Amino acid sequence: MAHTLHVLTSASPVPCSRSPPLKHRPFTVFSSTHLRRSIPPLTRRSLSLNASLAVESPSISGSGEAEPLKPLLEVKDLTAVVAESKEELLHGVNLTIYEGEVHAVMGKNGSGKSTFSKVLVGHPDYEVTGGSVIFKGQNLLDMEPDERSHTGLFMSFQSPVAIPGVSNSDFLLMAYNARQAKLGLPELDPIKFYSYIQPKLAALNMDPLFLNRNVNEGFSGGERKRNEILQLSVLEADLAVLDEIDSGLDVDALQDVAKAVNSLLTPKRSILMITHYRRLLDYITPTYIHIMEDGRIVKTGDVSIAQLLEEGGYKALSSTS
Amino acid sequence: MASTSFSFPSRLLHRNPTGSSRNPRKRTATVRTLAALSDPYVLQLAETFEDSLSSAPSADTLSLPILQNLRDSSSASLLSKTWPSSKDEPFRFTDVSFLKKSEIAPVSTVPSRYSPENPQLLGVCDGQSPSLFLIDGRVVETFSDLSGLPSDVFVGSVSAAPESVLRVISDSVANFSQGDLFWDLNGMGALDIAVIHVPAGTRIEKPLYLRLFSSQGVGDGLNTLPVSNPRCIVVVEKGAYIEIIEEYFGGEEGESYWTNSVMEVAIADGGRVRHSYLQMHGKNAAHIKWTLVRQEASSGYELVEVSTGAKLSRHNLHIQQLGPDTQTNLSALHLCGCNQLQDLHSRLVLDHPRGEARQLHKSIVSHSSGRGVFDGNIQVNRYAQQTDAGQMSRNLLLVPRATVDLKPNLQIIADDVQCSHGATMSDLETEPLFYFQARGIDLQTARKALLFSFGAEVTALLHTPLRKRVEDHVKRITHC
Ligand SMILES: Nc1ncnc2c1ncn2[C@@H]1O[C@H](COP(=O)(O)OP(=O)(O)O)[C@@H](O)[C@H]1O
Ligand SMILES: [Mg+2]
Repeated sequence: MAHTLHVLTSASPVPCSRSPPLKHRPFTVFSSTHLRRSIPPLTRRSLSLNASLAVESPSISGSGEAEPLKPLLEVKDLTAVVAESKEELLHGVNLTIYEGEVHAVMGKNGSGKSTFSKVLVGHPDYEVTGGSVIFKGQNLLDMEPDERSHTGLFMSFQSPVAIPGVSNSDFLLMAYNARQAKLGLPELDPIKFYSYIQPKLAALNMDPLFLNRNVNEGFSGGERKRNEILQLSVLEADLAVLDEIDSGLDVDALQDVAKAVNSLLTPKRSILMITHYRRLLDYITPTYIHIMEDGRIVKTGDVSIAQLLEEGGYKALSSTS
Repeated sequence: MASTSFSFPSRLLHRNPTGSSRNPRKRTATVRTLAALSDPYVLQLAETFEDSLSSAPSADTLSLPILQNLRDSSSASLLSKTWPSSKDEPFRFTDVSFLKKSEIAPVSTVPSRYSPENPQLLGVCDGQSPSLFLIDGRVVETFSDLSGLPSDVFVGSVSAAPESVLRVISDSVANFSQGDLFWDLNGMGALDIAVIHVPAGTRIEKPLYLRLFSSQGVGDGLNTLPVSNPRCIVVVEKGAYIEIIEEYFGGEEGESYWTNSVMEVAIADGGRVRHSYLQMHGKNAAHIKWTLVRQEASSGYELVEVSTGAKLSRHNLHIQQLGPDTQTNLSALHLCGCNQLQDLHSRLVLDHPRGEARQLHKSIVSHSSGRGVFDGNIQVNRYAQQTDAGQMSRNLLLVPRATVDLKPNLQIIADDVQCSHGATMSDLETEPLFYFQARGIDLQTARKALLFSFGAEVTALLHTPLRKRVEDHVKRITHC
């Protein structure tokens, strides 16, 4: 890309010397740009894999008499690199989530939590180099990001991007209707959609005026997080990956968000929440906690792990222990 | 026609190239000089234009003094010019050589194949607002509907204009020395002048549609290029207001023709003009247009341009500030698809205090053979203190090898001013696109939505229902 901007301060006429001090220096700006740019083709993430369903079943608490729980997400030996630099960020992640379970992934900043969640939903910044991801028995890695969404996977972004010029209501309606179309269900017009979304806004204590604003444009951190959960409640995903949904929220907002998330839980739906604070766990109780370190899950356990964390920090749980 | 002659065409000698008719000797001398200096191709072109006028049926209109004066001064000026090449700065990025390679044929006859009911002629007009219809540069009363206008407003052909209006517009015709060859060609070839005169204090509430239709395109494979030269003059007197929707379109999609248009707008003290300019020609058309605006004290001029058609489209926009406290607001959206070049050359000269000027240029290049050109010059001169000027150009390049040539250019000589400018170019960003996809919206739809929102910053400035129609048109023709 060639973009040159010449600022020629000397070529301009200079006012006579007795003129008062200048608020703005006289100048001439001349910029000429001639650009031919090329865009690399979208890298397609494809991977051949043996869809072995042999999964270590986690020890399921309580009675084992009911129909066996089905695995929702099975991640095996997942490795991924930065698409551009090929630097490996995930070094073999293993994780299985059954229907109805709530999992939490905790770990230090930079341990790969966001990378893991973005890889799950097919972010183009990353390329999967090994392992498998099976979601509802289907190979997730073969799907485009929008197809992954249609199969019932949702990720709330740690830092959702603003989209100027596209209103929140248009965006939500597009997303909703895209899914309806995919499932062969009727699409809604804007008026019916408003009735559909009204109670969901109320559940999150969100002002309906939010719908008129452009997606995430000028939203505070907390507003962005609420907006992510609003999208989740519109799309009613079966697995919600919530990346640091708690960061930047005050207690009231955290309660609103947690309440909305809990109300979406059903015996079939699952949550994978990502956080590095314990605080969230007081509101949404996980079945399992995983500790992530340097692109791997190094420890899995129940809520008591969080207690350990509280006392000794992540060091207490390091992979060598 | 094909031979190039260095001798001055004799017909032109009968005319008065300098515009001063008293002294035949001087006239001849001028002509000789011009002939010696002239570009042979331009001479030949002038001859072609002359020939076509002699066969034009509307002799009455053509012989009006105002049109004669315009022709005379234009031909004199034309002969001092050469055909532009890429070596001339204003045409550095805009290749007009294919016009030269074509057999340019000025349109002088009126076609019979259109009737006012023809759906092709509907364009974007809402059917409720007053409209003035021009076919190939000639006002066609039967297609126009001027019933909704106040009685003291004149809208129509110069041949029907009352003496008082003629007097006002004569001052402005042919009184601009900075036009290029195409400006002069228009003056030579204009068969009519569409006149819009709004007297002092009159506000016209409904927009006036100015519908410029090019009827005589030719099919593929023919080297003939019919050219029409529409010319419009808008005079808005003190405190008056009008909204004009100037719309260009043509016959069958794929036909070749050239529309070489000029519009002059004069706005007196406190007057306001809202101007929408829509260029929606077919993909093989050529479109060159001048818009010259003169703004007196405390006047306002707002232009919203949307150019989507033609393989060559060039807009020369020239704005002169004649008094203090003016407001000027210019926005443009250009769509450059397969084999399309969209060019805006604008020049805004501020010579008086407290002017306010805003310019937004946006282009979308959606094909590797598409090209956008923007040369925007804003000059804030010594006496233009406390000017508030801003200029921004944003460009979306959707494919490899898509090209834009940008020359945003702000010259500031006054010292007490507020000025900003900038230019950007990029593809659609991956992060917003991914955000759509992550919510189940496919890439194609996501791109469309983002493209649309990019253009909406300009189209949103149009009034509904025009906005809706233009946005639908943009949606229809945007491929990505
Ligand atoms: N697109 C990328 N390009 C380069 N490095 C990246 C990219 N995404 C993440 N990383 C790096 O990978 C590591 C893990 O980041 P991240 O997954 O965001 O951590 P966490 O969410 O656990 O804080 C960090 O060192 C980060 O800088
Ligand atoms: Mg993170």
